[in-house]
Amino acid sequence: MQSMVILSLLLAAQLELVAPHGEKAAVLFFIRADCPISNRYVPEIERIYKAYGHRGFDIHLVYSEPDLSIEAMQAHRREYQLSAPAITDPEHRYVKLAHIHTTPSAAVFVNGRLVYDGRIDNRFVSFSKTRTSGIQHDLTGVLDAIEAGKTPPLRETSAVGCAVEDVQ
Amino acid sequence: MRRRCPPTACLGLAALLFAALPSRAQVTFNKQIAPIVFEYCSACHHTGEAAPFTLMNYDDVRKHANQIVAVTKIRLMPPWPPAHGYGDFVGERRLSDEQIRLIQQWVAEGRKEGDPRDLPPAPHFDEDGWRLGPPDLIVKFPQPFRVPATGADVWRNFVMPTGLTETKYVRAIQLRPGNKRVVHHANIVLDSTHSLRRRDGADGQPGFPGMDVITEARSGSFDPTSHFLFWKPGTIPEFEPDDMAWKLDPGTDLIFNLHLLPTGKEELVQPELGLYFTTRAPTRLPMLVQLEHDGALDIPPGVRDFEVRDRVVLPAAAEVLGVYPHAHYLGKQLEAWATLPNGSRIWLLKINDWDVNWQGVYMYRKPVSLPKGSALEMRITYDNSAQNPRNPSHPPHRVLGGDRSSDEMGHIWLQLVAPQGAKEDIRPAIEEAVMKRRLEKYPADFVAHYNLGAMFVSRGEFAAAIPYLEAALKVDPHDATARNTLGGALLENDRLDDAIRELRQAVTDAPDYLNARFNLGRALAANGDLEGAAAEFSAIIEKSADDGDAQWALATVLMKQRQYAQALPHLEIAARLKPDDADIQTNLGVVLAMQSDFARAIRAFERALEINPNEGVAKQNLERARKQLESSGSGPRS
Repeated sequence: MQSMVILSLLLAAQLELVAPHGEKAAVLFFIRADCPISNRYVPEIERIYKAYGHRGFDIHLVYSEPDLSIEAMQAHRREYQLSAPAITDPEHRYVKLAHIHTTPSAAVFVNGRLVYDGRIDNRFVSFSKTRTSGIQHDLTGVLDAIEAGKTPPLRETSAVGCAVEDVQ
Repeated sequence: MRRRCPPTACLGLAALLFAALPSRAQVTFNKQIAPIVFEYCSACHHTGEAAPFTLMNYDDVRKHANQIVAVTKIRLMPPWPPAHGYGDFVGERRLSDEQIRLIQQWVAEGRKEGDPRDLPPAPHFDEDGWRLGPPDLIVKFPQPFRVPATGADVWRNFVMPTGLTETKYVRAIQLRPGNKRVVHHANIVLDSTHSLRRRDGADGQPGFPGMDVITEARSGSFDPTSHFLFWKPGTIPEFEPDDMAWKLDPGTDLIFNLHLLPTGKEELVQPELGLYFTTRAPTRLPMLVQLEHDGALDIPPGVRDFEVRDRVVLPAAAEVLGVYPHAHYLGKQLEAWATLPNGSRIWLLKINDWDVNWQGVYMYRKPVSLPKGSALEMRITYDNSAQNPRNPSHPPHRVLGGDRSSDEMGHIWLQLVAPQGAKEDIRPAIEEAVMKRRLEKYPADFVAHYNLGAMFVSRGEFAAAIPYLEAALKVDPHDATARNTLGGALLENDRLDDAIRELRQAVTDAPDYLNARFNLGRALAANGDLEGAAAEFSAIIEKSADDGDAQWALATVLMKQRQYAQALPHLEIAARLKPDDADIQTNLGVVLAMQSDFARAIRAFERALEINPNEGVAKQNLERARKQLESSGSGPRS
């Protein structure tokens, strides 16, 4: 029963990239259940979902592990209390569309066109270097621009985190 | 002219050449990768350990292969901050260039599993149990501590009383963090002074904040910290060498200094520490020596290479067993070395990119032998620029030494021990050198003055101790421990009036300070004021009836006043509390004999002679008591 719900979300997400329902943009958070950096971003992802989700942004989580089961994904969502809708991406369809190599990363599509992919913010400088201040909020900067009626050109940044594994 | 080789010889040469070429045979998990992973990764990457995923089999590794390539390429994993060649450490987790290349080749070639016959057995790890068997004592947080889902790292200290009623010798500890995803590392610090209890819970949460634990030096005796009590993920508990257990006295608190990492969801932590005791007191006595100059830490904003140095010359030959470096977020490069009397240098440690998240104690594979006159030296640099992403202040601001995470520190701790076979205890001389160096750095430092005084007292050099203790009291006139130690030194130096004055002041400053009251009693007794002395010892017994020294001291004073009947109950209690004291047994026997209780007197004399067969008074009195018993006709019946 659970998998049916997820399947419908998967189909919905596929459509939402072109935002047929009048949303300003589709936002995908690429995460990985066993990535500690990705998990440390959960509160920030939740904050963005709650702040922007009801302002016309269609936000989904995309689990990037090729062989993650639906049950494992749901268990992770429950454990970390992630409330945004989520999909798995076993074929890396969304990973490829969004040019993603690392989790956590974010991608923003306006009318189906990729306008941003990369880090959520610059908190992590490298695996072992974390900023404790002076954080630059790259993703919400893009969302604010879209909300203000601007359609930004494609911008790509490098994210720091766990490598997205290849589909085998 | 070239000579042509016969065809068969050329074939042989070709075969040899082929064999000598680097093998580009396909890399498989089972043959080349599994041995690397099992040796360097699995200790942390197995179920129940701190790492976020397991690396125990082909599937585990295949699913994280890109990640493994990325983190090994930059040598983030396995985590091993010391630079190669600057100290030869136990358990060095450092991949060779060839191993890193093999991993890359394996991934590039499609992550092949290979022939199952090539697969070495996976390492076995006991699950989260007590790896050395059931501990003799378990000290556990009474309630879990809540770590928030997000925010900065949490540096928290928890005060844990042990409940011990007698001194124990500890030969091993095991920390079970309870939630290894959260507890990044832990230090256990001993606080014999209860000085940290005041801070416990002051902010409404269990424990108190701070990256470091600074205990007050108030023990009144020379008993330096001797062991690193450190835990990080992957730590395997081990027994200390038979002759190197460490002493844990009753009343000493264990302070758990924890680095807690938010994980993205709220977490509870409830660590517990298992302690393993031995009856064997240590005969090799290591000590921890700290190189530091936190007083010189005044780092202007924007400075990228602020430098702090320290240097202590060893007054005796020593072996260095291990090193623990420590700095906060701005620490950049940490170096420690020894300069030998001949001018040569032995590197003890070098960390080129300090990361507060990957702290560790590093034990040398072979103790580093240093001759007398060697200088222990450190150099630590700090980056307080805006370009340092770890800088907790944005924009940077002036940073001073301190224990908050926004302050800085720079310490190199070294565990030293006398060379094998050395007859002398080198610790007092080293302590003297360290503290004298400290006075050079901080002329008005209470701790240095006090520790020097306490160290001279421990060596029986009371006259030498007195000026240091007086100097300590000039810095802090209300420190009752220092005043008590001064009073004790004056007493031992036969300056009775001065001793009584200082000890009375110590008791006035801290009425519940029983050690000061005890010394005051001793001083009064030495000065002939037996009633005054008895009053002090009685006051101690009123508060602590199990104080064997006070019971014995009161009995002595009463006997001097010829109040034998009054002395008897105190002698009996003292004999129970200090069963191995021949003097107490002898005096108990004498008083019992005076009460005509010859049977018990004989038992007391016999016990005294068991403890000390050369106890002359007991020997003489035993004969007399036996004769008395025989003549009174109440001897043992057959």
